[in-house]
Amino acid sequence: MENVWFHVDMDAFYASVEQLDHKELRGKPVIVGGHSNRGVVAACSYEARDFGVHSAMPIFMAKRLCPQALYVTPRMNRYSEVSRNIISILKTFSPHVQQISIDEAFLDMSGTRRLFGIPRECGAALKKKVYDETGLIISVGIGSSKLIAKLASDYDKPNGLCRVSKNREIDFIDSIALKKIPGIGRIMLVQLEKYGIDSPGKLRTYTLDHLQRLFGETSGDFLYNVCRGSDPGMYAEESKSRSISNETTFESDTFDIAVIRSYLLSLSHQVAYRMIEQKVHSFTVAVKLRLDDFSLVSGQLTTESPFLSAEEIYHAAKSLVDTKWDRKRAVRLVGVGLNNVQDGEYSPQQTLFEDPLYSKKRAVEKVVSSLITEGKPLQKATSMSVRKKQG
Amino acid sequence: MKFVCPKNSLLKEIVLALDFTSQRNTLSIVSNVLLETSDNQLTIKATDQKIGFTTTIEVETIEEGSTTVFADKFLGILRALPDEHIIFEEIGEKLFIHPQNKSIDFSLRTISSDKFPELESSSKEFFSVSQKDLFEMIDQTIFAISDDETRYFMNGVYLEQQNMTLNMVATDGRRLSLIERTFEQSFPEFAPIIIPAKFLSLLKKGGTGEGEISISITDSIIFASFGSQFMYSTLIKGQFPNYRRVIPAKQPNICTIDIKKMNEALKRVSLLVENKAKRIYLDIEDGFVTISSEESDFGQAKEIIPCTYSGPSVRLAMNYSYLVSPLRVMAGNEFDLCFSEANKAVSVKPNPEKDYFHIIMPMQID
Repeated sequence: MENVWFHVDMDAFYASVEQLDHKELRGKPVIVGGHSNRGVVAACSYEARDFGVHSAMPIFMAKRLCPQALYVTPRMNRYSEVSRNIISILKTFSPHVQQISIDEAFLDMSGTRRLFGIPRECGAALKKKVYDETGLIISVGIGSSKLIAKLASDYDKPNGLCRVSKNREIDFIDSIALKKIPGIGRIMLVQLEKYGIDSPGKLRTYTLDHLQRLFGETSGDFLYNVCRGSDPGMYAEESKSRSISNETTFESDTFDIAVIRSYLLSLSHQVAYRMIEQKVHSFTVAVKLRLDDFSLVSGQLTTESPFLSAEEIYHAAKSLVDTKWDRKRAVRLVGVGLNNVQDGEYSPQQTLFEDPLYSKKRAVEKVVSSLITEGKPLQKATSMSVRKKQG
Repeated sequence: MKFVCPKNSLLKEIVLALDFTSQRNTLSIVSNVLLETSDNQLTIKATDQKIGFTTTIEVETIEEGSTTVFADKFLGILRALPDEHIIFEEIGEKLFIHPQNKSIDFSLRTISSDKFPELESSSKEFFSVSQKDLFEMIDQTIFAISDDETRYFMNGVYLEQQNMTLNMVATDGRRLSLIERTFEQSFPEFAPIIIPAKFLSLLKKGGTGEGEISISITDSIIFASFGSQFMYSTLIKGQFPNYRRVIPAKQPNICTIDIKKMNEALKRVSLLVENKAKRIYLDIEDGFVTISSEESDFGQAKEIIPCTYSGPSVRLAMNYSYLVSPLRVMAGNEFDLCFSEANKAVSVKPNPEKDYFHIIMPMQID
């Protein structure tokens, strides 16, 4: 049986959801991202892309390129909700849907020809169904492997439908610039350039052995495979370790430990809510600090009992920052995460001494987490303004 | 400073002293050992400022004096030298080391001994206790301590005294080991303390297991001495959990099993136990226990051994290492597995009963 993979990419996802929900934004350049000049573009509509704006670009640059753009604050809850809807539509086409981010998924469509027709027709039907039910446009790439499918969806975006048949794969790869290939980053591009490698075709003239000597065993293996259109297993499903993490860039670089801690606390809550929502637990808390010179300080702490509440995550994160950050450089960004996330709300190992305080806090966090999932507006008590009593 | 001594008599002490130095910062005085010689005696001192060690050995003093050298390299050199008399001499800021009859020369940078921190000394009286008893108490508990630094108050063994009895308890929050030993002597009163695990291993490393050991306990430090060796450690500050509360009062079901058979079965079954949770199942029935691993990608292991049991059939799940470590140090031929129901605490006791037992929290069965 022939392997058939679909890669679905929701076009300019956040911006499209905003245009869908707000008529006045349609047909206009829309930029989703923080209002502050230090933020980055989370997503932008195709109208904004015409001005040269792209995602991950600093907001101040986007404003310079496209001053007339409409700036929108991200509404992650809404995007997650729409994403869930689309994924559930995808699941009516294949029992095997692998979501790889909020706006991307792979579908294993092998052996569905009798059910849904030839891949191209099936892809068109999928696009139509998503549009009819959500009003959103997706691009679909079809190939014999996840790699080819992913490249194909990218090739024909927006509103794309691209199928690469098995015998055309090498030609297809050759039509793609190296920098468009997932897994080839800026640093590797520079290295490749050094050896005069500027296309997949040139890459194919190197033996595996040679590539491994130049780039190391893993990268060499990756490059050897990717330029031949064979999937190096980038999107292998059994990810060795899962993690949950959130990070924030400060309005301005800071030395103030109180500010850093208050962000650690709120990030710890965000991470804990996601952990509770996903019904997982973890024994490892990690923190990350980006300093004003863009250097990275990170650390992690593994304990024998799992972190079950935001409070516990915060305490670990705080002590990590205390030991890892020497306070010689200002902090630009902080991140808190859980590594080696494991399934199950609790660890099956029972304990002798339950800390009653933590069990209560966890119960509260569970309620808050479910409210967040339902999209209820929440405000932290500490962030409410207090009016001083008169007299 | 200049002295001569046989290599092995010094080596033995430096091996021990090294464990009391700080291994973190090689340029610091607390990574060094202090050597001080007078009256044909050499005093060796080491401390990382939490734990400290001093000992005295016989040497031939040629010139009195004192200095400090980097313990790790000093030990390395001693180990490498031939087994004969060695001459140690400080000239300038270097300690020259060479065997009397060979042309082997080492010199080690020294740091002046007046920079060496003062060692602690006890303000309280010392009491004697048999090394054999104390070491047995350590053996029965030390494996259960937690090495999770966030729960520092469980990183040691809890020691409390009641008249003629000493109790040692250790727990990591999921299992607990307890020994209550009654002596034919009474002890000076002291409030319960938490002794760092490292110090207990150092005591065992320094001691012979025979004769007595002298102990003194102050509010913040425990001192111990045997022979010419003297060591101390600051205690762990913090509230040890109320362990009495978690000792099950009633456990109607008792399953008696041969220790050796269980150990062997655990060894075999553990080959296929998943590394993280280390979960095994014990299916206990009238007359036999089935020990099995979870079905994994690799496969499954199962072994049936006889037991004496008359309660209802039950399945227990637990981390196998929590069973292995107490059984490894348990005396006698048989042990009792005592429990009330599947998800409640399990007790592991020698049969016939002795003055120690262990409690294991099981894992949930899904």
